[in-house]
Amino acid sequence: MGVALCATFCVNEASAQIKAGEGQVSIALESNSSYYMKDEVLADIDLYKDEDRKRGNFGSNDFLKVDYTLGKFSAGVQVDAYLPALYGYDLYDYQSRKSNMTGFLTKYVQWEDQNWGVRVGDIFDQFGNGLIFRAYEDRNLAFNNSLAGARAHYNFNNMVSVKVLAGLPRVYDVRTKNVVWGGDLSLSISDMAGWNDGYASIEGSYVGRYLNDISSIEFRGIDSKILNLVSGRANFEYSGFTFRGEYAAKLNNDIFAMNDEAGKGNAVYLDLGYNYKRFSVSANFRRMRGMTTRAALLDGAAFASGGNLLNYVPTLVRQHTYSLAGLNPYMGAVTGDEIGGQIDVYYSLRNPKVRNKYWNFHANFSMFNTLDHKFGGGRIDGNVDDFAKREGRNIWLDFNVDVERQWNKTWKTTFFYSYQRQDVDKYDMEHGHYADAHIFVVDATYKINKKHSMRFEAQYLAADNYQGDWVAATIEYNFAPKFSFYVSDMWNCEKMNDPENAMYDNLYFHNSTQEESHELLHYYQVGASFTHNSFRAQLSYGRNREGIVCSGGVCRKQPAYTGFNLAITLSF
Amino acid sequence: MKKLMFLMFALVMGFSASAQTLPDVKIENQEGKLISVREIVDGTPMIISFWSTTCKPCIMELNAINNNLPDWLEEVDMKVVAVSVDDARTVSRARAMTQGQGWDDYTCLYDKNQDFKRAMNVSLTPHTFIVDGQGNIVYSHSGYTPGSEEELFEKIKELK
Repeated sequence: MGVALCATFCVNEASAQIKAGEGQVSIALESNSSYYMKDEVLADIDLYKDEDRKRGNFGSNDFLKVDYTLGKFSAGVQVDAYLPALYGYDLYDYQSRKSNMTGFLTKYVQWEDQNWGVRVGDIFDQFGNGLIFRAYEDRNLAFNNSLAGARAHYNFNNMVSVKVLAGLPRVYDVRTKNVVWGGDLSLSISDMAGWNDGYASIEGSYVGRYLNDISSIEFRGIDSKILNLVSGRANFEYSGFTFRGEYAAKLNNDIFAMNDEAGKGNAVYLDLGYNYKRFSVSANFRRMRGMTTRAALLDGAAFASGGNLLNYVPTLVRQHTYSLAGLNPYMGAVTGDEIGGQIDVYYSLRNPKVRNKYWNFHANFSMFNTLDHKFGGGRIDGNVDDFAKREGRNIWLDFNVDVERQWNKTWKTTFFYSYQRQDVDKYDMEHGHYADAHIFVVDATYKINKKHSMRFEAQYLAADNYQGDWVAATIEYNFAPKFSFYVSDMWNCEKMNDPENAMYDNLYFHNSTQEESHELLHYYQVGASFTHNSFRAQLSYGRNREGIVCSGGVCRKQPAYTGFNLAITLSF
Repeated sequence: MKKLMFLMFALVMGFSASAQTLPDVKIENQEGKLISVREIVDGTPMIISFWSTTCKPCIMELNAINNNLPDWLEEVDMKVVAVSVDDARTVSRARAMTQGQGWDDYTCLYDKNQDFKRAMNVSLTPHTFIVDGQGNIVYSHSGYTPGSEEELFEKIKELK
């Protein structure tokens, strides 16, 4: 045994001396587990029922990834295990007819040379902004639509790059039978012209999808088993100015939701930027109709689930990090047809020589409207042949500012304000019902000494026409670099059984059975984290509000629960 | 079985002791041009920090490193590489932010397709690596607590 141990260590002692090019293995583990407890208060006000806990009181989403690299060659596997899935992940709704425990194995082999590369196995890639194709993974959403197939790319003197790929997309833990293929060509104008002061390129992509599963269900209006998507792009950058533009089109009839009329689609995406010294502006604009593309036309609810996607058309609005600012985030027009944009302005006021004293300013504005659209009749009056017409209208507006001040080595404060206006009836109603909210946050960090620090955060949400005012507070104590502890609470100060509020699609009120005594329902959390090198564990306990969790502009609904969470990440 | 478990454990521990090298993947620079990650290896030790516009502790860490950088540079030769893992949706905001936060001394890279992130086995951000001048990864740390940047500096100093 001793010999075996020495052999391993000695070899590795030696390998530490060997330069790049020798084989190496890396391992990464991520595990998120929850233990769900009985919470009479939540049960009393119908925020959860025992029958909602079909998979028992324990859930765990785990990911283990092992890679091997030897020079230009690499290979790897990843196991996704849901033992069973945590509540609030679409995965389970899709899998409800199958076993609770579920897993998926992804694998690849790859050769990456200086100017060319080949990969066989599961492919993660995107063309342009992802408007026609993006295969990626987001564990916060249990999302993974990697293509099982092959990819090759070639680059000629940085002037021309070509990429081709083909494969079968994944929807949660099922590999679909639909074949997806595509190609991407990028021409660097600046490299061709020998222009070194800036950068200019033009790009084009094509993606095709062949429906093998079309016979399984009835689809109105889809006339071809093949769907063609194209995209053209231009990028330009010179002396602080940036322009990026993309036009994408869906050339055949396709449907996005079960009850919608089939149609073609198109999108325009513009991205403008400017920066000078410590001042910068970035603005995005996007108009999009019928561009959401499904990986598979599945039966039932799984069709419209968040994991069934071939492209990336997320909301572009700022994803807030303060809990009350993200209480009711914009989730995009339900039809996927919207027009709007956003702008960010950053400025840092500082003397470059004095690092411990500065102001950082950031302002952001976003606005999105729906486009005129027809709704599937099934939604309006039960007659699927009837489409109700809805005119486009404003559904989202957000203006927010953060002012960050580093006073000296010990104190740092941030003030944040956001005004949000959202149409809470954005779906079927003829007229909007607007909910307005003003959110104020004060966040202060005090560094006691090199290792100890404290952070305080106080938030207030003042609401008009919607679910009432909210308060939240957090206190955090850190012992760098290993430990961190926090306590937080969040509550709604409004009378909860107000019938005026109950008529809207309110995430907070399911009905008006709440008792007076629950007027102040506290969503408290206590937690601690431990970090050692690349190992990190965080344990927390608390009551979690029913709400929307977003990651990368894509959101999922999280049910209310009380319980323990353990999150572990580890990598070698 | 016990022996096997022990062997596996020893193997895993062994790997953690071995030095990894930076993977050879393509990534966008500030101008939006694709470069190879290996190009950033130039003999200078570096801190590579993975961040995103929606990760508050990441931004806190990069600001803290920025505050200390002039003092650190007086003692050692080093550089900081800030790798944004923002995707197409927020990458332009990330570019604006690096400019508007005073991160003038950083080398900023944009991992839009998250190839570098995947190759470095980063699950949670912030995740920070110390890489020596030859491209060997000598240390990594995930998460940020105010003051943990001192540990990064200590590790960089050990490389001398």
